[in-house]
Amino acid sequence: MRNIYLIFRRDFLGYVKAWGFWLSLAAVPIFLIVGAGFGYFAASSSPVRYYTVVEPSNVISGAIEAEFRRTQARAAQDAAELAGHMKVAVNEAQLAEAAPDRKFVEVAPPAQSVEALQPYLTGEKMVSGPSGEKPLFAALILSADGRTLEYWSSDVNVSGLRYSAETAMRDLSRRDALLAAGLNADFLKEADDRAVEVAEFRPRDEAGGGSAVTVADRAPAIVAVALAYFLWLMVFSIIQYLLMGTIEERSNKIFDMLLTSVKLPELLAGKLLAVFAVTSTMMLSWSMFAGVGSAFAASQSPGLTELIEPFLAAATDPGLIIPALISFMLGYVLYGAIFMALGSLCDTIQEAQTLLSPMMILLMLPMFAIFIAFQDPGSPVIDYASWVPLFTPFLLILRMPQDPPMWEIVAQMGLMAATTVVIVWLSTKVYRAGAVHGAGIGDLMGMIKGAMGMKPKAG
Amino acid sequence: MGDAPLIMSGATKRFGAFTAVNNLSFEVPRGQIIGFLGPNGAGKSTSLRMSLGVMQPDEGSVSLFGAAPDVQNLRRVGFLPEERGLYKKMTARDTITYFARLKGMGATEARARANELLETTGLGKFKASRISKLSKGMAQKVQILSTLAHRPEFLILDEPFSGLDPMNQQTLEDLIRAEHKRGATILFSTHVMEHAERLCDRIVMLARGRKVFDGTLDAAYATLGRGARMAVEHGFDLAAALAPKGFEAHRAADKGPGDSWRVSLPKGLGAQDALRAALETGAPIVGFQPEEARLRDVFVSLVGEAEAASLDAPTPADVAEAA
Repeated sequence: MRNIYLIFRRDFLGYVKAWGFWLSLAAVPIFLIVGAGFGYFAASSSPVRYYTVVEPSNVISGAIEAEFRRTQARAAQDAAELAGHMKVAVNEAQLAEAAPDRKFVEVAPPAQSVEALQPYLTGEKMVSGPSGEKPLFAALILSADGRTLEYWSSDVNVSGLRYSAETAMRDLSRRDALLAAGLNADFLKEADDRAVEVAEFRPRDEAGGGSAVTVADRAPAIVAVALAYFLWLMVFSIIQYLLMGTIEERSNKIFDMLLTSVKLPELLAGKLLAVFAVTSTMMLSWSMFAGVGSAFAASQSPGLTELIEPFLAAATDPGLIIPALISFMLGYVLYGAIFMALGSLCDTIQEAQTLLSPMMILLMLPMFAIFIAFQDPGSPVIDYASWVPLFTPFLLILRMPQDPPMWEIVAQMGLMAATTVVIVWLSTKVYRAGAVHGAGIGDLMGMIKGAMGMKPKAG
Repeated sequence: MGDAPLIMSGATKRFGAFTAVNNLSFEVPRGQIIGFLGPNGAGKSTSLRMSLGVMQPDEGSVSLFGAAPDVQNLRRVGFLPEERGLYKKMTARDTITYFARLKGMGATEARARANELLETTGLGKFKASRISKLSKGMAQKVQILSTLAHRPEFLILDEPFSGLDPMNQQTLEDLIRAEHKRGATILFSTHVMEHAERLCDRIVMLARGRKVFDGTLDAAYATLGRGARMAVEHGFDLAAALAPKGFEAHRAADKGPGDSWRVSLPKGLGAQDALRAALETGAPIVGFQPEEARLRDVFVSLVGEAEAASLDAPTPADVAEAA
């Protein structure tokens, strides 16, 4: 144990003393803060743009204005629903404030023809509006036959106004059609309001009948996906550490010094633990950042605690967390042993990079399964794929909220454990060949055949 | 027997069809300095790695302090591999401390020992420097100190002089003598016979994986027999001329004027007798030197000139140093 600790300590300190570790550690919170700040800044700094509508009447102008008001009303409604979930009391004024500011403001047409509007659209002349004098961002001109609304703008990359105009035109057309059929404009809304509401329930043994589906019902599947993704992220993160760490030892010819001081299994265990500790430190730090952020948010919005509680309950449910921990442990050892063995066959980073592509492909497969599970947790694809030992660590976690038969859980865990033992045994052989005999990637197949008692082809 | 630091009995190691070490047996008695000699590819490093348990022999056995090599008895051993290397981002002091701790030393003692070794070898002011910041010679010194830090009873040094400049070679020779004086048993491999001549009590010679000699330096010289070097004008057959006088002569590869010959001296006759006999035959002598016994000549006599020529080939460490 002492030797494992010494190997672990040296490797762990080696990793955490490197700049790259601290950069990686800081990158996620910085990225989140900068990303959120950037999004807020992008939204708040977007300038107010003037547009004008050239038409004989105010019909189109009114339809576009109505569309903008509907958009703002929807945003206010979403904010009200969120506030309701979080049990935060808000008044109408606050809701109106929460809605995004209008970025497109209509002004009176400074001219009636395209030619005359050109100087305003190109910025040679300005128009006056609520935000002062500005160039005209867009002009919407109804054709003489009334069948085309021409959208003129120098900036073709900002499409918000055009989309709103298209939506407004569709609504206008629908309203005209209803009027022509002798129906009033509120007919469709009335019809929508009378539609039968679909309410979601779940049968519950203890209740006898069942009750409405809540966040608590969905939480286990969401937590399972999060845990599976967490394991995937951890395995993905260790590739670089294990490959680079082992290459350093091979290229620096340190193996002989190490192997005359510690047993090979001690060396491998110490290294795996060190990388586990490094990735755990990162994940723990990020989790603490998320926890502090959540606690702060909860202190501001007491209702948030109720929203988080079902997820905490799911994450601490023994039925999920015990198989998840076993899968974590076995999955980490299984993939860690593979990467470390492969690293021992490489002399250079370039050589290791040739191994990264197949490794990425191998790791993308469970990632696809995680996506499938997110959309359809009960998918048979997940059930079948979970029997493949390399994928079991991820997919067994995903299956747990579906309450699979106990024999399947036990069988899959047993298969995964047996595979991990075989992989660790093979990896130890490969590592020894790389570390002691200087074997390279080209020797890999021969070594595996040799380890399995098959004679490699001569020549 | 069981107390000897190392006993190798009939050890054989094959890599596919190639036999790197063939039925090798030798013993390293306590308190001696043993030279493990042979050209590159003779099987020295493979034998040393087998003696440390890094590799297992295909046949035969290895006994380290009376048992198969394992982590426990390896704690009594300090090993310097032929291919040197350290963690480049670790400091000199941390490196020595780390390897001493892996050999069982406590943290405080290992750190104090690292400081002491670095101070006594003139590297004190570099103790907090990373290995990557040290010169190659300094880094090699740190690796040697890492081998010695835990005060091993038995030192195994694989080509320790390779890659060192003459000054550092002398420092290492002094260090080996100091360790021997402390009581350590030392086994070192080399292809440079002069180091062995200066340091060893006994030598084991290897060629093509086989042991060709095992004994003291005196015994090694005795295998050679006494002789004299003569150079004659090109084309003169000295062997034929001296045969009737009772002297045996063989062509030698020495560089110099004319053709070089080695004349063996029969018991009771000296180098001057051989010179006199040659002059009597009218041999056109252009050079003469009574022979001073050298290990290289012993090796030539045991394995032949062609094999001995590979003694001059550089080791990987030499190549790296040259690069």
